[in-house]
Amino acid sequence: MKIPPVEPGTVGPCPVAPDALQGIKRQQTNPARWNGAGWQDFVAALRASGVDLAEGVAACGVYATDAGGTAYGQPHGVVIARSAGQVSLLLKAAQAHRVPVTVRGGGLTTEGESVAFGGVLLDMNGMSRVLKVDAQALTVRTEAGIYWHSLAEELRRENLDYLSAPLNLTSSVGGTLGVGGIDVNSARLGCSADQAISLQVVTPTGEIVECSDDENPELFQRVILGYGQFGIITEATLRVRPYTPLSMHYYYYSSLRTAIEDLQMLDRNDASDYSGILTIMDCAVNLLVAFDSDEREAAFRKNWESRLRGHGEFGFALCMAGHYALRPWKIGEALYLLQRKQAVFPEFRRPEFMREGKMHDRTVVFSRAVWKHWGSRQMVIPDLATSADKFVEAVERGNAICRKYFTHYTLYCVGIKLRPEHKPHYEMSCVPPDAEGWAYGCEFEPMIEGGVYSRDHFQAFKNAIYDIGVDLGASYYRFGGMMKGYIRRIFGDALVDRHLAMKRRADPAMILNRDVIF
Amino acid sequence: MSATLGRAPAAPRDYAACNGCNLCQLACPMWRSHRDPRFTPAGMAKALQHGATAAQLAAPIEACSLCGACDPVCPERIDLPGLVIDLRLQLANSLPHSSALLDDLRARLQQDTAASVASRSAPLLLPGPELRADAALLARVQALLGLAIADDDGADIALALELGVEIPPRRLQGFLGSLSGHSIVAADGLLLRQLRRWLPGSQRMGLGAALSSRPAVRSNLLATDLYVIEARAYHADYERMVAYYDRLQTETGCVLNLDLQRIAIPAVAQGLPQKLGATSDGDDAQAKWILQGRQPARIVVESLADRAAFERVCDLPVVHLAELGEDPEMMKRRPHAFG
Repeated sequence: MKIPPVEPGTVGPCPVAPDALQGIKRQQTNPARWNGAGWQDFVAALRASGVDLAEGVAACGVYATDAGGTAYGQPHGVVIARSAGQVSLLLKAAQAHRVPVTVRGGGLTTEGESVAFGGVLLDMNGMSRVLKVDAQALTVRTEAGIYWHSLAEELRRENLDYLSAPLNLTSSVGGTLGVGGIDVNSARLGCSADQAISLQVVTPTGEIVECSDDENPELFQRVILGYGQFGIITEATLRVRPYTPLSMHYYYYSSLRTAIEDLQMLDRNDASDYSGILTIMDCAVNLLVAFDSDEREAAFRKNWESRLRGHGEFGFALCMAGHYALRPWKIGEALYLLQRKQAVFPEFRRPEFMREGKMHDRTVVFSRAVWKHWGSRQMVIPDLATSADKFVEAVERGNAICRKYFTHYTLYCVGIKLRPEHKPHYEMSCVPPDAEGWAYGCEFEPMIEGGVYSRDHFQAFKNAIYDIGVDLGASYYRFGGMMKGYIRRIFGDALVDRHLAMKRRADPAMILNRDVIF
Repeated sequence: MSATLGRAPAAPRDYAACNGCNLCQLACPMWRSHRDPRFTPAGMAKALQHGATAAQLAAPIEACSLCGACDPVCPERIDLPGLVIDLRLQLANSLPHSSALLDDLRARLQQDTAASVASRSAPLLLPGPELRADAALLARVQALLGLAIADDDGADIALALELGVEIPPRRLQGFLGSLSGHSIVAADGLLLRQLRRWLPGSQRMGLGAALSSRPAVRSNLLATDLYVIEARAYHADYERMVAYYDRLQTETGCVLNLDLQRIAIPAVAQGLPQKLGATSDGDDAQAKWILQGRQPARIVVESLADRAAFERVCDLPVVHLAELGEDPEMMKRRPHAFG
């Protein structure tokens, strides 16, 4: 989609198409903009306490939307986080003046959760330094605004690596710990939030508190996977591990069900170090399997590879050729698959990111490919998170919705090993309450491809996916912002009201990340 | 040498295409020193999309070092260094700087320059002012590459690009005319980048790649070396250079100043204030970051500015690439660099 250049000094047109479709019920939209009552007094108090706050379009325009690109709003002012003490002063002033504070890490939300509709936007990127790497204890203490990739850059100099993080170079540590985070090794190592050992948190009323499973455990439980409602994570101590390049294998399927069954078989048997599914619609389903060591790879080849029902690249190409030869009316689909293969596959094999057949940094490879071939000014990525036994049905039903709403799309599926001792962390989160052992998540990502869709079309699509979740008793990764209308439907009033009461006690003026969940 | 000669890039897009992925931020030395997303190419692009003017973005526009690290990582193929160069021009027009350097530069740009004396099609070296100032090293470079030195090496044009000074069309045409038909080796990475656009059919390469492709130089690179690629030239021809230096690393075993995305970490990242001499703030943080966690026996640089930066922050021997060519005079001048 071509966005016309903006005349300097003017505000450009909204790039989302007008809401033109008729008969689609809008269930949730952007919250109303905060009215700005008392803003000047707040600003004066903040500046008197030594906190820098930037106003004006050059500062606020940077944050006008998030990665989703469908929620647009601007803060009244921006604070770049510099220290826990500064964040504390900000929150104390915000409580006193009842000014909303929206916290942003990488800004990779898609439902407007990190978009400020007035008030202050607190950009945590300013706190992005690694504080201490302990190579003996295999831990790192870092400021929480750091991107996982920047953390990896520093850890790699010590020949270390983080355990698991989203396959996106610009996910922040704090933002990820607040919502979960999945990697292609989550089926083995759990969600990214599970690697946090302890956190420094600034509570909504401005107290600076250290918390862990042993110290202030209630706060730890609420902040981890807490969608930013109970405090701002300013520092984190995380587990790390020795770095190893990985050997990657791809198996291709034409059936979602078969690929998912094989994925779950591998996960149940701890047969691989990394596993996940990435598709081109439901036509080419790619099960990726990877290993940290030659020993694990050899064991997989000996014990498990023969049980997989997928094909190698050449074998799958033959299958596809036969399939489309018998269905000439689907030539358009066949050509799309071919074009997509030619464009995307080389990205996963760029020689500068490989050494002796091993991939040196999975996040670099996948994230660059994702932004290049999936990125767009608008992105909607509704998801479903279910227990293992409901997952095939969830994906198949979601796939049918994708086919109905968009010409082309991608599905990304991965397992998440659950830690029983972290069950309190998982309450009212993306981890479905009925999941035992593993939860499974699927992202449904339409390809926008320069098309122009209305917000209502996007919203109707997301609603249709989320309705499946309500029906199945599933959960979601992205249930905040524009999708928060589903929270009570999926979690029930009793649980939501209990969390709302905790939120009111912790945040009397309800200023921190307001409208994201409650 | 011909294997690494650059061709014209695909048509770039403008800031309106920015989707805010922030991949540029990861590679941006300006962000590293400010830790403020406004000091990133994406921050500037997003602010422009929402109505900010060049004057409102003066601080990041001036702080950018034009290292070009943002360019190859942008999935939307936005010409981000070109954006900053354009904004600097706008800024200079609306808020004219006044300094002796700028006045002198404007005067030089108005002068007619003698055409190159080299015969048509002979390869030309554009050494730039720093290399010209070191006559012995320049002679060594010339001997290694066997190139004629261009009378007009466009140093004023390179500086004008950097400072946001309008280049008179007559001056530019005269310069480009003198290069027409020649293969070019340029020491200034920013000029190399622009030559790619101005002379799309020409054959160009950076000084570092030209020198390191010489057997006399390459054979002296060691696995214990930290090899510091000059960032601007590398990013100006990224697709070729990433493959070229990948081979160099495989062959020699030396460590490169590349991050995990294979983007060159610039050892020096001077913004406009430093270039104009308005501040003497050093930018040693970049050189220290390159060295963090690394223990090379020697540092090999492609750029003289990088040599100065490393000599400020460490006691390791720092040697220019041209000094690796087993030249007895050079070894006498800088014995520490050769063990």
